[in-house]
Amino acid sequence: MGEYAISVVKVRDTLLVTVPAEPDDSTVSALQERVLGAMERHDPKRVVLDISAVETLDSFFARTVSETARMVTLMGGRTIIVGMRPAVAITATQIGVTLSGIETALTVERALEQTDPLTAR
Amino acid sequence: MESRRPAPQPVNEDVQVFNTLQQPELLQLLVDSIKDYAIIMLDPHGTVISWNPAAERLKGWSAEEIIGQHFSRFYPPEDVEQGKTDMELRMAAQDGRFEDEGWRVRKDGSRFWANVIVTPLRHRDGRLLGFGKVTRDLTERRNAEEKIKRQAQEIVEMAAVPVVQVWQGIVLVPLIGTLDSQRTQQLMERLLNKVTESSSPVALVDITGVPAIDTQTAQHLIEAIAAVRLLGSEVVLTGVRPSIAQTLVHLGIDLTNVTTRSSLSAGLRRALEMLDLKIVPKGSVNV
Amino acid sequence: MNAARGEVPITVEGDIVAVRRLLREVAQEVGFGTTDVTRVVTAASELARNAYKYGGGGVMRWQVIEANGRRGIELKFIDQGPGIVDVSRALEQGYTTGKGLGLGLPAAKRLMDEIDIQSIVGSGTTVTSRKWCSM
Repeated sequence: MGEYAISVVKVRDTLLVTVPAEPDDSTVSALQERVLGAMERHDPKRVVLDISAVETLDSFFARTVSETARMVTLMGGRTIIVGMRPAVAITATQIGVTLSGIETALTVERALEQTDPLTAR
Repeated sequence: MESRRPAPQPVNEDVQVFNTLQQPELLQLLVDSIKDYAIIMLDPHGTVISWNPAAERLKGWSAEEIIGQHFSRFYPPEDVEQGKTDMELRMAAQDGRFEDEGWRVRKDGSRFWANVIVTPLRHRDGRLLGFGKVTRDLTERRNAEEKIKRQAQEIVEMAAVPVVQVWQGIVLVPLIGTLDSQRTQQLMERLLNKVTESSSPVALVDITGVPAIDTQTAQHLIEAIAAVRLLGSEVVLTGVRPSIAQTLVHLGIDLTNVTTRSSLSAGLRRALEMLDLKIVPKGSVNV
Repeated sequence: MNAARGEVPITVEGDIVAVRRLLREVAQEVGFGTTDVTRVVTAASELARNAYKYGGGGVMRWQVIEANGRRGIELKFIDQGPGIVDVSRALEQGYTTGKGLGLGLPAAKRLMDEIDIQSIVGSGTTVTSRKWCSM
């Protein structure tokens, strides 16, 4: 599939990462590499991870995303996961995926609104 | 039984040809022409000895391929293992007829839902010569039935777990009764789908109508709330009466991450707050 | 697709996704609802990864099953890897060996209706699981 199946776009102080529908394991691993690389290069305040196309969220994917989020936090940023599908959320909950420490939002727009430092709650 | 010919009438050529066919030829024509019924014959042991064009169309095998094979080829392996094919022949021979509905298998391995009638064929002296088997493909009818069943179930589910959008951004689930596994499934699917469709940041789950809460119901609720959270919405649990609050504390259920209110109206107020909204009486000045 | 059974090799990493894609189609055809399709595919992803990473590669055999008027799917993941020393522990939530068998088996157990593991240390592992369409 190739690591470039994942799109990483910097918009001002935000990194927008879009994950394709069925990423293979090496693509998922590359996600971590690319996010950390971009964190170092651009120092964004937020990483928005758009998984609205993702149809399967297994323990490997969950673990990689959790680790990535922890690393992002250590580097001074916040991670927001956007667009999880209902079936994926139900299955993830069933297998005990909590994604604790990671924020979630319904859409990319809301993710930006929710975490806007100017209007922070 | 003799077939009786209609009284002579002025005839055209086609009818003339038809009238010259003898009974065996007529019956063969009937069997060959019928499109909707696979009509085959088996010997007393279940080996296929005759096959009509409809059978080829329905099951996939040509006459050359299948004549001489045992009719258990048409059955799913689990049925053969359970001895279903032997049972069918035995019952047909015993009762004079055997009818069944079930899955059958085609040459390519695919399945279809069939109505099957097996009839013993006997010589005048009572000897069993074999069996006649008429098979009809009911897959479409079954699909239609399943669809109706599903739709009926959806209607029942909707009544059982109604999910309502009460305001832009607020979805309400007024739960009535207890939450078993199945209802929790319905709840989660309907609630999460509604939250996603309507992009609602707040879900009000009202348990005023839940008479008693046991560990199972509580766990199911926690699971449902966790799933809504993963979508990016917040849950406000409302209708938490004193007795329920007591039970939850006694059961050691951890609700620290869940916003709860004792009444639905208090919950609604909180939901509006979360959306930076407020209900203000008419005529008052917005300070 | 009308076939009632099939086999997928698990020899390269990309096969894990291939298993997911195939089973998504099959599960939909069998008649599982959206959430159950996701459960089957997710369980298969866990088991396929186990077979690939810890079993040294293997094969997945699937078939459509039927009993008591209900349809379902059966998945068999077979590898000739090192085997699992303590199967019941491996099925416990959160159990991790040094080699990282991790969360795959407990996850699959929660998502499927039935699961059975036959494993011989030094010889290989076969994980059979089934899920039935709800009425």
